[in-house]
Amino acid sequence: MNAHDRVVIIGAGHNGLVAACYLAKAGLHPLVLEWRERVGGGALTEEFHPGFRSSTLAHGLGPLLPEVARELELERHGLALINTDARLFAPDREGRSLTIYDDAERTARELESLSAHDARAYADFRQSFARIGRVLASVVREAPPSIERPRGREAWGFLKLGKEFRGLGKRDAYRLLRWGPMAVADLAAEWFESELLRASVAARGIQGAFAGPWSAGTSLGLLVQAAFDGQPFASNSFARGGAGALAKALAHAAQAAGAEIRTGADVARVVVQEGRATGVVLEGGEEIAARAVVSNADPRQTFLRLVEPTELDPDFLSKVRGYRSTGAAAKVNFALGALPLFATRKKIESGAEELRGRIHIGPEIDYLERAFDAAKYGDFSPEPYLDITIPTLSDTGLAPEGRHVMSVHAQFAPYNLKEGDWTSRREEFADAVVRTIETFAPGFSNLILGRQTITPLDLEQTYGLSGGHIHHGEMSLDQFYTFRPIIGWAQYRTPVARLYLCGAGTHPGGGLTGAPGRIAAHEILKDLKATRRT
Amino acid sequence: MNQKYDCIVIGGGHNGLVCAAYLARAGKRVLVLERRHVLGGAAVTEEVFPGFKFSVASYVVSLLRPEIIRELDLPRHGLEILPLDGTFTPMPDGDYLWRVNDHAKTRREIARHSKLDAEAYDEYGRAMIEMGRFVKPIMAMTPPDPTSLSPKGLMDLLFLGRRFQRLPAEDKYNQVQLMTMSAVDFLDRWFETDVLKATMSASGIIGTFLGVRSPGTAYVLLHHYMGEIDGAFRSWGLARGGTGAISNAIADAAREAGAEIRTEAPIARVILKNGQARGVVLENGDEIEATVVASSVDPRLTFMKMVGEKNLPDDFVEDIRRFKFRGSSGKVNLALDALPDFKALPGAGAHLRGAVSISPSVEYMERAYDDAKYGRFSRRPYIDIVIPSLTDPSVAPPGKHVMSCFVQYAPYNLREGTWDERREEFGDTVVETISEHAPNFRDIILHRQVLTPLDLERDFGLTEGNIFQGELTLEQLFFLRPAPGWAQYRTPVRNLYMCGSATHPGGGIMGASGRNGAAKILKDWSWGNV
Repeated sequence: MNAHDRVVIIGAGHNGLVAACYLAKAGLHPLVLEWRERVGGGALTEEFHPGFRSSTLAHGLGPLLPEVARELELERHGLALINTDARLFAPDREGRSLTIYDDAERTARELESLSAHDARAYADFRQSFARIGRVLASVVREAPPSIERPRGREAWGFLKLGKEFRGLGKRDAYRLLRWGPMAVADLAAEWFESELLRASVAARGIQGAFAGPWSAGTSLGLLVQAAFDGQPFASNSFARGGAGALAKALAHAAQAAGAEIRTGADVARVVVQEGRATGVVLEGGEEIAARAVVSNADPRQTFLRLVEPTELDPDFLSKVRGYRSTGAAAKVNFALGALPLFATRKKIESGAEELRGRIHIGPEIDYLERAFDAAKYGDFSPEPYLDITIPTLSDTGLAPEGRHVMSVHAQFAPYNLKEGDWTSRREEFADAVVRTIETFAPGFSNLILGRQTITPLDLEQTYGLSGGHIHHGEMSLDQFYTFRPIIGWAQYRTPVARLYLCGAGTHPGGGLTGAPGRIAAHEILKDLKATRRT
Repeated sequence: MNQKYDCIVIGGGHNGLVCAAYLARAGKRVLVLERRHVLGGAAVTEEVFPGFKFSVASYVVSLLRPEIIRELDLPRHGLEILPLDGTFTPMPDGDYLWRVNDHAKTRREIARHSKLDAEAYDEYGRAMIEMGRFVKPIMAMTPPDPTSLSPKGLMDLLFLGRRFQRLPAEDKYNQVQLMTMSAVDFLDRWFETDVLKATMSASGIIGTFLGVRSPGTAYVLLHHYMGEIDGAFRSWGLARGGTGAISNAIADAAREAGAEIRTEAPIARVILKNGQARGVVLENGDEIEATVVASSVDPRLTFMKMVGEKNLPDDFVEDIRRFKFRGSSGKVNLALDALPDFKALPGAGAHLRGAVSISPSVEYMERAYDDAKYGRFSRRPYIDIVIPSLTDPSVAPPGKHVMSCFVQYAPYNLREGTWDERREEFGDTVVETISEHAPNFRDIILHRQVLTPLDLERDFGLTEGNIFQGELTLEQLFFLRPAPGWAQYRTPVRNLYMCGSATHPGGGIMGASGRNGAAKILKDWSWGNV
């Protein structure tokens, strides 16, 4: 393979693989270099206990953009999606519980027992997000326009967006404007009166964020979610075989399209000649020439480690250093002898469909905010907020007959601890998670056969996420859309010609959606085709 | 009594008076109606204790628009602003941070804590002044309606877009971060000294129910650089005779222009005839007719009390109900027998002539906020102390002093007890907090006035005790203030206008809302829309 059409992609995370697929289909020769022994990045399924496999990190899809699944024929390459009826099940300490279904009416009926007012408000709440989501749908599928110097096409894009925005009508248009910068606790309180529902709504806003429900801008998460599937709650779309199955299907698709994937290939640096990326050098010295280099690594890795500082302007570097990517989320995966029973008045049969989506532990706004307070002062939450899935309820293959896997996303666990370090406090944190689940599902701890704890430090050292941030950087107002990762550089291009970004550090950010990889590939092809013509 | 005016202004606060002055100068027959016996609203001076005159609520000037001072010729009407130089921040470890207007001095002082920060302080100042220049014209403009297709609205949006686009890349970057980040995150970009960040970030939380680490607090840092007394950026000052003197000067200008001002004239409701405002009814039953009614009181009083929900569109009522007040601060005014003696810097030095800020560390500020989040007043609050009698001896008997303490956080809604039960406990907390830094403090207090958010609501008509007539948070700014679609000083009721701090740009003794409101009324009038 000659360097002329070779495009090196650094990192075989799901976005890197998506980009590889599209570039290969366009006739280029992507070479994906993954430093770990297996592909997937954040989309992994690994055996963490003899006979038990779990989504190591991310446990749900974002969801995956339908276009990506269709255009890349991922089903043909082995991807099977599981969509559960229940999105979210949330118990509180008094034995109350609620279940959010995709079906709004069914959800409303469920909410009756909690609050007649909330049951009534729910339909309007859902419809409003659905309408706004339809307008934002195009936003998460296209490169953000540059505010520096909008070119003709972009100016048009702005106008198009403006037209759609006005199409919303005053009421929703203003909701969109108000909600963007709002604290999710306020948004939830505007709609609902019951704490349990308020907290369940707030959950999506703080997922993976270094922020509590009272932090301004946390409503953004709900708007982004709505843009992907019209709902303000985290997705209920999963991959059969765990998140790793997505990476596997993408890898097949990429290879089938002509891409090459090398694992155990750790890129030491990007080669830059006259301000232009011309290839990469691997640890161990092997040099690989390329027509373009695409980084699926996060912005800090890319600009502070892979590119020589002398190749970048000091102002740009200081902005990269200012890019906020200190994580506060950890992961604990449990191998269970049997299903946990939640102490809720409404009897939830073990294996009931309520439990097949996400299980939300964080019954009040205050609970979530207190969990965040700890992180502010450099400690992990004694009572963390938990986003739980039990994949084996719909995907029995992950555990031995009759046994189960529980995948727990836990917040807050700040990357920087004031006392001690994550190596010495790992198990202490996992114990806090167990204690917390125990209070909602008595007897839980007796079901545990094995557990795997992944701290923010592990996320950085083992999985290569700077600061252990699962979204490659905070998804906050100042690092969003045309500001992601950095204002002026939100279009997948970088100050180094022919060096591109395609990871979660670019618009529309984190989550297993494939969106950044897809948009990045389109932008890259624009540039490369343009030069090919000349 | 049944006389007809061109315009009735509800509320004799500084914005109401500014609005009245501009309307009167334009030849309108104006009547200002104030509920209390004194003018000024929150910008008022009262002799709370014999011989001791207090700026009871609002206590410093900096944002008062220079064009208003000029156009209303306020100095001629008795306005004199005395510079308030510097901010002194004592630290528990016995050290302190003392920033003054003298740049070189401040630089040396900061260098004492960190050489790097001394460097950064210059760049920071330059950057902020640039940002201030960008934001200034926005303060004076009527917010566009981004959802309307009116050519004017589109032009205004375009104007904003272009101005932003023309900013140098670096300023764009700063502007975006300023609008979206938390004060501390923003300051982290420039400085490493904790106490410097803590005391600077304090300005970002004043009057809001947010912490120094809450996104959206950075933008208020700008206000410090937009205070323009005599055109000089970022200097703060005191009005001779207290903030009431400002209101009196504006009232004087209004009267001279022909406006009539009545105190102790509380309003019961706005008179509506087929959906139009036609005057007001006083609580004593008097009816006064007017072509236009301009309200400078907050939206809840204006619409829920004086207009009535049943006379308003449901959506609008919902938006006004949703408008966030939740006051978070209190005020403690003290009459002192002598000056406080700070451990960190003993004696009655120049450091007492500026502001004394109890904001020793970022964590201190953040913990103060945490208390409020869970419905408790801060056990160790942020306090902004000013001793006006050092700059303006006329406000206290010889040798004695008045001290004004702005205290945050004091949430309007307490989880335990009521403010009436806990008022003195709150006062004690403030005294204890200051005593930790100035041991002699307890013994020099002659009298003490404690104003809780509940008192601010009762005495000054500030709903939920919010000093800005509604939180200055991102979702309540600019074209969202006070309600989506009603940010242009008009209301759903024809000939009823808003001209108070609850409209853009709101906040502080700025007067911009009153001036913008008057401009809008006169414009509508000249176009025959009134």
